[in-house]
Formats: sequence, structure tokens, C-alpha cells
Amino acid sequence: MAIDRKRVIAALSKLDVAGNEEGLIPAYNVFVNQMPTTFWNTFANRLTRQVGPDMLEAAEWLLVNAAHECGYHTGYGIITSEEWRSVVAPMVTDAPADVLHGAFAVFAAWGWAKAEIVELKPGEKMVVRAYDYYEADVVEYGAMSRPAAYMLRGICGAFMDLAYGGDYDPTGKTGIRTFQCVQTKGIECGDDYGEFVVTRA
Amino acid sequence: MPVTKKTEIIVERRYDPRACRHTINGTPYVLHCHHYMSLYTQLAEDCSMLDGRKLLAESAEDCAFERLTAIFQAQSLDHVADRIAVAEQLYALWGLGGMKVVCAGPESGEVELTASHVDEGWIKKWGKRDKPVNFVTCGFIAGMFAAVFGRPTRSYSVIETSSIVCGADRSRFEVVAN
Repeated sequence: MAIDRKRVIAALSKLDVAGNEEGLIPAYNVFVNQMPTTFWNTFANRLTRQVGPDMLEAAEWLLVNAAHECGYHTGYGIITSEEWRSVVAPMVTDAPADVLHGAFAVFAAWGWAKAEIVELKPGEKMVVRAYDYYEADVVEYGAMSRPAAYMLRGICGAFMDLAYGGDYDPTGKTGIRTFQCVQTKGIECGDDYGEFVVTRA
Repeated sequence: MPVTKKTEIIVERRYDPRACRHTINGTPYVLHCHHYMSLYTQLAEDCSMLDGRKLLAESAEDCAFERLTAIFQAQSLDHVADRIAVAEQLYALWGLGGMKVVCAGPESGEVELTASHVDEGWIKKWGKRDKPVNFVTCGFIAGMFAAVFGRPTRSYSVIETSSIVCGADRSRFEVVAN
């Protein structure tokens, strides 16, 4: 792996995310927002707690799907951006594996999670560990009975789509959801880290 | 006589490389995109399991109320005009767009958006439509009015009467105390 993770995080975490005169933040071919983590956590937590046991998996899928689609399009925007070209691209010697490692450094820079790839079988499987992530903040005492890092699950799957799912499709009709992710451990469940296993869908 | 708004929100950004977390004034923040916002909005609208629109709006209301109350206290803002000026800036800081409070009192108010992350993101992703989608801003406005006038959350109802996503040049919201 040729990616200097610390250097990527240091460079991209300082990106100017100030809005324009319209109050919008256009960047990476998307409109970016920066909101308190409690907003996203509150909605996901209330939704999954209120739907009842029969609909819980369906609600979780919807939350994961939102992140998967976001990760696919925004992830593509990131790896084709000027910032990527100037900071990360010169370090890439073994694509697409290095691209994935670089993408997870950006992951950290955006504040999504302190995460890294611990296992990668190109085109087949990826295991990611997250040692700090905002979705775990829903628990301040004790441990949840099931993991709740829906955003991380979706993003991990999306990044494998971008690396090994074929050409990027801006319409989202192909290329996306060629991989799926299962969360096997969670800080919110009392584990030391969150673990995310991505395999072919 | 119009009141000149000069008060500015104080923003202290930090990035903790050990935890990989962004904070603004000590509160954890995260970057997301219009795809995520649009899909959460669609999820809220299509959710047959419960009233997802209300859930999303209330999540935004609670978040805006908590942040604005903390900011008003930290910056010792007691006047309505100062509080509204800061609330408009917070809305833009979050990347949600250009918000203008047209008028506001403890019992009612009117708010306009000159630009909207939710609406323009939705259009960019799926195109225009004939129904409003900005549940997040309805919640933000309800939380803002509660914080500005020192009332608890769920004190105000907000109705979106005109929408950028429907083709209007600006979105419009009417606020009334419950």
C-alpha cells in the first residue's frame, strides 16, 4: 500500500467547507451539508426504535441504502476531484486497491469514521474496522442488542462497488449494489471497534 | 423601522485527527451530501411504518433548538433580531441554503428560502415535483422559533406553502404557535 494515510487525512480534513453566498456548499459534484451528528443519529435511532420488530429490518435496509447510494455518487465525486488528483492520486501505484485505501483516508477526513481496511481480497471481499464513529454515539451507557452503524455499512458497500463493480453509472442503474455489507461488531454493542464485512451481492 | 442585522455567529472549527471527528464550537459535525439528504427525505415520505415526515422534521427541530439555544447563551444574545440573524447564519453554515425570516412574533411568522439544499438536491437527483419535500427545514424553523422566543420544542407548526422543488423561485413557510 503506497497511500500515506496521515498525509491524506491532514490535507483533506482542512478543506474549506464554507458555503457560498446562497448558503449552499457545492463540492465534489454534489451539494455538501455539514450538520450536527445528532441530527442523523436522532432520525435513525427514533425510526428503528419506533417501527416495531416486524419492520425493523426493512427500516434498517432503507437507512443502509441511503448511505450506499450516497457513498457511490459522492465517493465517485471524491476520487475524481481536484483535491484527490493533487493529494491522493500521486500515491496510487496499485489501483484499485490503493484507491480504496485512499478513499478510506478521505472517509476519516470527512468525519465519517476512524476506519481502515484490515483485509482485502480484490474483487471479492473487504473487511473494515472502525475505531471511532459517530453512529456509536447513540449509546452512552451499556450496549445495544444489534449494531446500528447503517451509514458505515452503506458506504463500505458503495466503495467496493466503485472499486470492483464496473464503470461508474451516474444514473445508478448499474455498478451500484454489486456488493453488500454486514456489520459484525459495533462499539455501540460493547465491542472495541466496529467491523464491516463486504462481499459480492 | 427595519432593524439592521449585524450580529454574527461565532464559529470555531476543529478537526481531531486521533478520533477523526469534526467539531464546531465543541459539537460533533459530519459532512454528507444531497444524495444522503434526498434519500433520507424520500425515506421519510415513503415510510409506511410511521409518520416519517414528522419524525424527520422533529429530528431537525430538536437539533436546531438545542444548537441555537446553546449559541444564544454562549453569545449572550437576548434580542429577537440578533437571534434571528444568527439562526439564518446557522442554516447557511449547515449548507442548507439561504434563509430569510420575513417576519416573526411569538404567535406567528413567515420565512423564505432563496436557495435550498433539500430542494435543489432533490431536483439535481430526481427533478422537479408537485409536492414540497423540505421537512427538514420545517423542523429547523419550528426549532428556531421555539429557541428565539424561549418556548419549548413542539410549540410551533410550520407549513411549506411554496417550494423551489415545485418550480417556485423561492420557498415559503408559514409559522403558527400551537
